[in-house]
This record gives sequence, structure tokens and C-alpha cells, in this order.
Amino acid sequence: MIRKDRTDFSPSLISHADAQLVNSERVLARFQTDLDADLHFHQGVIVLTSQRILHVESVKGGAMQMKSWKIAEVEEVILEEYGATAALHLIQSKGGAYHWRITGGRVREADALLAKFKAQRKVVMALTPEDPPTKIDESYVDGAEKEEVAAPSKAMVRLWKFVRPWRKQMALATLLTMASTGASMIWPGLTMPLLDKVLIPLYAGETNVDRSLVYYYIGALAGAAILAWALNWAKTYILARVSERVASQLRQQTFNHIQELSLTYFNKKRTGDLISRISSDTDEICYFISVNLIGFADDVLMILFTAAILFSINPVMAICALAPLPIVAWLVQRVRELLRGGFAAGSRAWSQMTSVLADTIPGVRVVKAFAQERREVERFRAADQQVLDANDRVNKTWSFFEPMIALLSDTGLLVVWGVGAWSVAHHHITVGILTGFIAYISRFYGRLDSMSRMLAAVQRAAASAHRVFDVLDVKPDMPATLATKSVGRLSGEIEFRNVKFRYGSRQIMRGVSLKIAPGEMIGLVGPSGAGKTTLVNLACRFFEVSEGAILVDGMDLRELNVEDYRRNLGLVLQEPYLFYGTIMENIAYGKQGATREEIIAAARAARAHEFIMRLQDGYDSMVGERGQQLSGGERQRISIARALLVNPAILILDEATSSVDTETEREIQAALENLITGRTTIAIAHRLGTLRRANRLVVMDDGQISEIGSHEELLKSSGTYARLHQAMMEVTNG
Amino acid sequence: MSTPQPSFTLELTDAGHLTLIDAHGGRHEKAKPVRLFPLTSPASWICIVGPQGQELACVENLETLPGAVQTKLLEALADREFVPVIRSIQSVIRAANGHAWTVTTDRGETVFETESDESIQQLGGPRLVVIDSRGTRYLIPDVNALDAKSRQRLERYY
Repeated sequence: MIRKDRTDFSPSLISHADAQLVNSERVLARFQTDLDADLHFHQGVIVLTSQRILHVESVKGGAMQMKSWKIAEVEEVILEEYGATAALHLIQSKGGAYHWRITGGRVREADALLAKFKAQRKVVMALTPEDPPTKIDESYVDGAEKEEVAAPSKAMVRLWKFVRPWRKQMALATLLTMASTGASMIWPGLTMPLLDKVLIPLYAGETNVDRSLVYYYIGALAGAAILAWALNWAKTYILARVSERVASQLRQQTFNHIQELSLTYFNKKRTGDLISRISSDTDEICYFISVNLIGFADDVLMILFTAAILFSINPVMAICALAPLPIVAWLVQRVRELLRGGFAAGSRAWSQMTSVLADTIPGVRVVKAFAQERREVERFRAADQQVLDANDRVNKTWSFFEPMIALLSDTGLLVVWGVGAWSVAHHHITVGILTGFIAYISRFYGRLDSMSRMLAAVQRAAASAHRVFDVLDVKPDMPATLATKSVGRLSGEIEFRNVKFRYGSRQIMRGVSLKIAPGEMIGLVGPSGAGKTTLVNLACRFFEVSEGAILVDGMDLRELNVEDYRRNLGLVLQEPYLFYGTIMENIAYGKQGATREEIIAAARAARAHEFIMRLQDGYDSMVGERGQQLSGGERQRISIARALLVNPAILILDEATSSVDTETEREIQAALENLITGRTTIAIAHRLGTLRRANRLVVMDDGQISEIGSHEELLKSSGTYARLHQAMMEVTNG
Repeated sequence: MSTPQPSFTLELTDAGHLTLIDAHGGRHEKAKPVRLFPLTSPASWICIVGPQGQELACVENLETLPGAVQTKLLEALADREFVPVIRSIQSVIRAANGHAWTVTTDRGETVFETESDESIQQLGGPRLVVIDSRGTRYLIPDVNALDAKSRQRLERYY
């Protein structure tokens, strides 16, 4: 919801702005300002048209105020950042300026607006007689609508999409349910004549009673019971199958979807939360479909049927019996509101708890090293307390609600007994009819009771469905679908062309230009936070550049098929990640179906073969989530073998040797020698010695390249690199 | 990267050590054979390593070796390795610390203990390996080939 508010334009502002446009004017971009000069929240909209810049805001009293500037008269628009907020300065050519303030979150959009303004100004200044067809960026203008978040009730409707493929089975299950309900309806219908025609006359001592009718009715009752049992069996089986499949589909789709999302998303999300959405929330939905979905429809039908039957037997008694119904309806409505919030809170608390687990279990070494077990126990206890509280809240409502429904049903029954007793005494109805009536009305209220129970299930499922769809609704911020070129093997030429990158409101890359020849090795050095890893992440296309472009073999990275491109990439990280599986599977991770010979060859080249041979299970050794049984250097060499096996055209080494001792580093260095030959390599290293083989060293500082050259050249120029080198020599020698 | 050609001969000492004589006549004593894929593909890829673990020779397919060398290699391997193949499972019961197994293997009946669920590892397809608390590997080459009772007992734990 917050996201929606941020990009949503106030419709009145928009319509007012649009009303100001002249005929020949076209809207190129809209941008929402959200602060006033005193930094109070205040909405306004800047509209960039083909000729003017307009600004509309509401002033006191609800009136709209509009200012406008001809593009030709605007010298420039400047964006200036002040930490959490930013300012847009409009400078007029004839002197004078105007200022807007915005929150930091809008800086990216402001950048886009500025870029469009610059382009349009060029067009206007060139005095082209006709407006050139500047393309309106639809995605930007329509951004607000696309990001709309579905309401919880909509979540249930969307769930139908997942059930749809099984609609035939669902229809069958519905039929079976109704049939089995019908079969159970036979019971009271049969007891009435059994009492009136057989039992009561027998009791009264009448002699002309057909005793065989007893066998007939009891046999029919048994038949009805068996029929209901068989139908229920079939129904439950079908529903369970369908619901499992729907849940599995949901799980898979969600997992597929998050695999498509960029690193930016994962940086923001907590692992535990995602895990709980994919595992426990889909499970809730499964339970709902298997137990409640059709049951609900069935109950509604049942209640209508029973009501009709009751009325047909005796209208007066029916009205008495149904008297508590409006109260029930009112209660249900009230409780629904309470429950909805309660279940959402419950789901959130649950994912909070999973997050603590997902955080603490992988980090157990740090926990133990700092002797923080107690603190983690406390953290878990607090998270668990939240789950407890949320559930308590729901249960409080619930524990009151259920007996309340029961009390109301009992009231209905009491009324029927009272009225019934009076009617029997006055011979308005027979005992059989009364019994039948009581049987029907108990079923009626039983159904009502189960419907009210379902209320909780529906709310719970809606909350869960909402959480699952929340994930499914996140759009990959890299438009992978945009007409992409598929590429095969690349030669490995990379060019950064004035690359800028912004993360949130922080400018991390401030215009980097660098051309790397195929097969060249580049060493990236610089202080922490200089943007080395970001540059590498951009080259891997884990993030999208904010401005400028990255060209690979002369093609814009954005136009390439991501998967094809990454097939050309080899990545060795500081912290190698080994998946749960055998060493062989881990080496073959990037190349499914690699032969044993290839795997062994890669391991040999990565200097991993010998230590693998020493393991009891050789290449079949299982390595854990974080490869606990292996040392850091061994894990690193496995990850190098993994990169070697895919034979990448572009190799990226992000501090590949900095977490191991010098002896191991030598081993890894030797392995890397094998890896880098004939490939374009970008290597980040703090130990400058690691970069001996580099053709060029690139020194980065504060998001920019400060120096480029060979080791000797850079030492001579006595800049940042010389300083880093000096500092390192002091550390190693002193 | 090509695999070194298997042009060597082997001698087997009484102590069960191998001596490898390479193509140039160099003698490497106290060598030992190692299966690279002892669980998933024990028959292929066997290396011979020196006492420091350095690789002396590597053979993908034993059939490519001269008969005499092959026999010696297999003999040395048989002497060193111990991976019982489970034929049937008599019982798996919850013990103080994990589970106690009673099984019949190709090397006779035995009892062993495992520590956790991770003691049973799936090696692709129906192939399973059970690692007991002492580190001995028990192989189940094909779960489906076990008798129904054994399979039922196993099913609860993996």
C-alpha cells in the first residue's frame, strides 16, 4: 500500500493540469512532488509537455494553483540531494529560479524527468518546426496503475485461477458433496413416517400395523447412511488431490517467480519471510481448498434447502425456529472484521519467527563466538510471543463466537421444542413431525455452526493468499521480456560507458567509463566502499545501470538475453557457496550433464583433485549447506573448478583469495592462473600481489575511476594506488 | 587436460602395499588405489596415489589395463575398502541417540547405529548410502530392489 501511495498521482491535480494544456501540447512525463518549501508533506505535480513545464499544486481552500515555464526559457533543471530529501531547481534563462522539494525516494523518478527534459530542450532549442515524435514512456506514466496491490478479497478471486485447471474435478466434487448431503437429508424424512405410521401406533396398542415397514424404514436408513459414506469418501479424495495440486502449483510459481527477481529484491527481503510465504502460507490455502471451499457452498445450499423443508412442514414453527438467524448474521459480520486483522497479524508473526530461525541457524558460528546464545533465545522467545499474542487475539474472539453460535442454535431448538410441545398437545402436529422438525433444525444449526467455523478458515486463507500474491505481484525490475537478443559465445569485450548507478537515494557509481579488451585482465583496487563490487555486479547484470550503458561485444547489455549472457560468465566469490550435495554435483552446478572426465579435469586445473582424492567418498563426498567439512581454501578451489567447468568468456573474481592464508592463497593463485588464461577477467583484490598478472590496474575511489595503469606506472604517479601499496607494505612488514 | 596414459605396472607387497613402476622405470612405493566415485560409480575412475596423496596414475576404465595389472589393482582395492551392501533390513528402532539398525549385508548380518536423518543420503535415483556413527558406509544400490518389508522399515527415515 505504501508503494501505491508513493507513485499515485492525485487525480484532481492531474485533471487540473491536463485542463491547462494547449491543443498542440503533448504530455511527455509527469512527476509528483511531495514536499513544500518547509518540508511538510504537500502534493503537487510537475508535468513536462512538448513545450512547457507545468506545476500544479493545491493551495489553501482547495483551489488549484498552476505555474508554467516555456521550455525555451528554462536554462536548466538541477537535482540536488540533501540526504533524505532532494531539491529540483529550475533556473530560468533570463534570471530567476524556482525550487521544488521532494523526498529521497523520488530521486530516481526525478532523474528520469530531468533526462526527458534535457532531451526535449534540445529539440525545442533546435527550433524544429514540428514536434519530433518523442516517445512517451508509458511504463513511467502508467506506473501507478501497474503497481496497484490487490485487496484481500480479490486474493480469493485470484486463487480461482489456480483452481481453474481442475474445475472438472471441482465440479464433480461439488456434485458428490451435494449428493451426499442429499443422502443425509433422507434421515429425518424417513424417521417421521417411521414414528407416525409404525412406532407410535404400535406403542398405542394398535394391531393393524404393517410390521414389515420397520424393516423397510431401517433398511432405507442404513442404505442412506452407506450412500452418504461412499459419496463423502469420493468427495474427500478428489478434493484432497486437487488442493494438493493447487498448493504445489502455487509453491512452484512463487519459487519460479522469485528466481526471476533481481538481487535488489533479495537484499530487501528476509529469507525467513519468503520461506514462510512459500511453505506455510501455501499450506493454509491447500487446507482451505480441501476442507472448506466446497463445504461452504454446500452449507449455503443446505441451509436454503432445510429452510424450505421446514417451511413446507410447518410455516409457523419454521419462523419461530429461524428467529435467532438475524442475530447470527450480525455476529458473523462483526467477527469477520476482527478475524481478518487477527489472521494477517498471525501470518506476519509466523514469518517473523521463521526469519529469526533463518537468521540464527546459518549464523550459528557468530552466535557462539560472541556467546550470544541467550540473546538469540530471547529473540526467538520474543518472536514466538508475537505468534502467541496474535493467536491469542484470534482465539479470544473465536472462543466467544463459537459458543455464542451454539447458544443461539440451542435457543432456536428450545423455541421449537416449546412450540412443538404445545402443538402436539393441541393435536396440530404429530410426534413424528415434531421429531423430524427437530432433526432438520438441528442440522440447520449444525450447518450454521460449521459455516461460522469456515469464516475463520476463509479469513485465514485470504490472508495467506494475499501474502503469496504479494510475492507474485513483484515485477522483476529488469524487464527480461523486453525484446532481447539471444547470444552464443561472446569474445568478452566489455565497455562501461559513463555508467552511473543509484541504490535507493545513494549515488554509488558516478560515471565510470572503461573499455576492456577480450582476454584482458583488469585488477580493480580501491578502498572499501569505492564501488568495486557494485561495478562487478553491474557487469553481471545483477543490478541495472541507472544511466549510461554497459556494452558487451559492442551490444548493450540490456538488450541481451540475461540467461544467455550469464552463460558466458564465471564468478568466483570471496565466500564460496556450496549447495547441499556431492562435490561432483557442486562442480557440475553450472553445466548440467558434464561428464566425469570433464569434472575431474576441472578439479585438477583448480588444484582440488588431490584433496578430493583424500576424502573418504572422493567426488561423492557430501558437502553441507556451507560446506562445513571443508576448509575455506578447499571450498574456494571447488568453486573455482565450478567456474572452470563452464569455460566462461568473462571471469569475475571478487576477492577470491582474501579469506585464506598465504599458503592456500598460493594454491588458489595457481588454480586461478589456469582459470584466467584466454578470458576477460575482472578481479577485485585487497592483496595487491594477487593482481600481478593483471594487464591494467584500475583504481576506484568514491564511485569513480581515479587511476588506470600498470603496477609500476601507478607507483610512479604516487596517487591512491601508491598510497594503498605503501599501507600494505607497512602491514606486511611491520 | 588429458588423463595420464595408463602405462605402468604394479607390484603388490605382502603388507598389502602397492608399488607402482611408471613408464620410465621409476618406482613409487607405498602407493594406494583410490576410487574417485566410490558410491555413484565405483567401477570407473580409479587413481593410484603416493604416500603423500600425490597422484601417480589415473584410470577411467579398468578394462584398458593389462590383465595382470588389473588383477593386482582390484586385489589392492578389495583389501582396502569396506562398503557393505545392504540386502535386507531386519529392524530400525529408535535408540538413545538416533537409530539402531539390524541388517543383512553381502558381508553378513550386522548391527549399527546412525545419528540423524542426514545419515541416509540419496545419491541420485534409487541409490542410497547409509553412514553409521563410526563412519562406515553401507550401500543400497537400488531401494526398489529391497523386499517390501525392508522398504517399509526404511521409508520412515528417508
